[in-house]
Amino acid sequence: MTVVPAQQSGGGGGSSGLYDVLELVLDRGLVIDAFVRVSLVGIEILKIDVRVVVASVDTYLRFAEACNRLDLEAGPRKSPGVPDLVGEITESGARGKSKGALSGAAETVSNAFKQAREEREPEQQQRPRARKSTAARRKEEQE
Amino acid sequence: MSTYVYGIIDGSRSSLPEDMVGVGDPQRPVRILQESGLAAVVSDAPEGLRPKRKDLLAHQNVLAEAGAGGCVLPMRFGSVAPDDETVTAVLAERAEHYRERLRALDGKVEYNVKATHDEEAVLHRVMAENPELRSLTEANRRAGGGSYEEKLRLGEMVVAAVKAREAEDATEVRQGLESSAAAVSAGPESTGWIANVSFLVDRDGAETFLAAVEQVRKSHPHLELRVNGPLPPYSFVEPGPAEPAGSTAGAESSGE
Repeated sequence: MTVVPAQQSGGGGGSSGLYDVLELVLDRGLVIDAFVRVSLVGIEILKIDVRVVVASVDTYLRFAEACNRLDLEAGPRKSPGVPDLVGEITESGARGKSKGALSGAAETVSNAFKQAREEREPEQQQRPRARKSTAARRKEEQE
Repeated sequence: MSTYVYGIIDGSRSSLPEDMVGVGDPQRPVRILQESGLAAVVSDAPEGLRPKRKDLLAHQNVLAEAGAGGCVLPMRFGSVAPDDETVTAVLAERAEHYRERLRALDGKVEYNVKATHDEEAVLHRVMAENPELRSLTEANRRAGGGSYEEKLRLGEMVVAAVKAREAEDATEVRQGLESSAAAVSAGPESTGWIANVSFLVDRDGAETFLAAVEQVRKSHPHLELRVNGPLPPYSFVEPGPAEPAGSTAGAESSGE
C-alpha cells in the first residue's frame, strides 16, 4: 500500500512528523535581532515552489489521459475513497504521478537533510540520489 | 562560547526535566538562564551547527519537553547568541513583551493542518460538477482517446476545474476548522499543499478541534488531511502575522 497515511492525527513529536512541520521549525518561531541564525544553505531547496497542479502542456495531457481512464459511470455512485478503487489506479499513472509531485516536496527535504549530513560528498553524487530517494521515501511511508 | 537558544518560558517554572540534551554531537546539555521573571532554555552552541536532521529533531524535542510543563515561546531553529549575557540582556530588555506573549499563549498549542487532493477522487468530483467535461471526455473516449488538440483542450479544462477546486477546498478547510481555534495562521507558502494552515488551540479543547478535522474529512472525501500537533506555538509567538479568529491573538476560544 503506497498511499500516504492521511488518517493519522496527532503524534507531532516523532521523526516522521518532522517532515511535515519542518517549515514551521525553520520559518516560524521567535526571531531575536541580537542573535545570529545558523546558515540554512543546504536547505534552501525548501523554497522551491512545488505546485500540486501546474498549468502546462504535460499536465493537460496527463489529466486528459486520467479522465480517459476514469470510470465515469462508477464515479458518482462509488465513494471516492474506496480502497479497491485506489488500488486499481495507483499503478496506472494519474494518481501515481500526483503522489510523485507531492512526495517530491518531501524528497527535496530529505535530500536536504542528506546533503547537510553528507556535505563532504562531491556535488555530482547528489543527483542520482534525488531519483533513488523516491523508493526510499515510499518505503518510509509504508512503515 | 556562544549560546544556542531553544525558547523562553516563565521564570517561576522549576520543573524542566533533568538531563535534557539538545543540538550538537555529542548533544549539549540543556540549561536555564533566569532573568526578569523569565527563563531562556539554552545550551552551548556547537561549532559549525547546520540544519541537520538530528539537530532539527533535538530542537523540536527540547521544545516539546519544555512545553509539556507549561507555555514555551519557541525560537526559530538555529538562533545563536554570542554568549549567555546577551541572552539575559535580551530577556531583561523585552521582559514585558515576552511575559505578555506567555500569558496570551498559556494553555494553548499549535496544530498544523496540510491538505492535498486525492487526484482520482477530485477528478470524479469535478466531472460530477461539470457536464461539459463529462461530454468532452466521452467524446474523446469514443474517438479512441481523441486527437492531440482535443486532449489538450480537455486537459486544460480539467486542470482549470481542479485548480478552482483547490482554492475552494483551501478556503473550506480553513473555515471548517477556525471556529474551534483561538487563532489561525497561514503556513509558509510554496511547499506544495493546497492548504497549509496552523491553528492555535486550547490544549484542553484539542478533542473539539480534532473532531472538527474529522468532520472536514467526512464532508470532503477527495481531500487528504495531515494533522500535526500538539506543537509549540511556532506560528503564534509574535502577534503580527497570525490572524486572530476571535478578537486578539490568545483571546478566549469561545469565539465566533
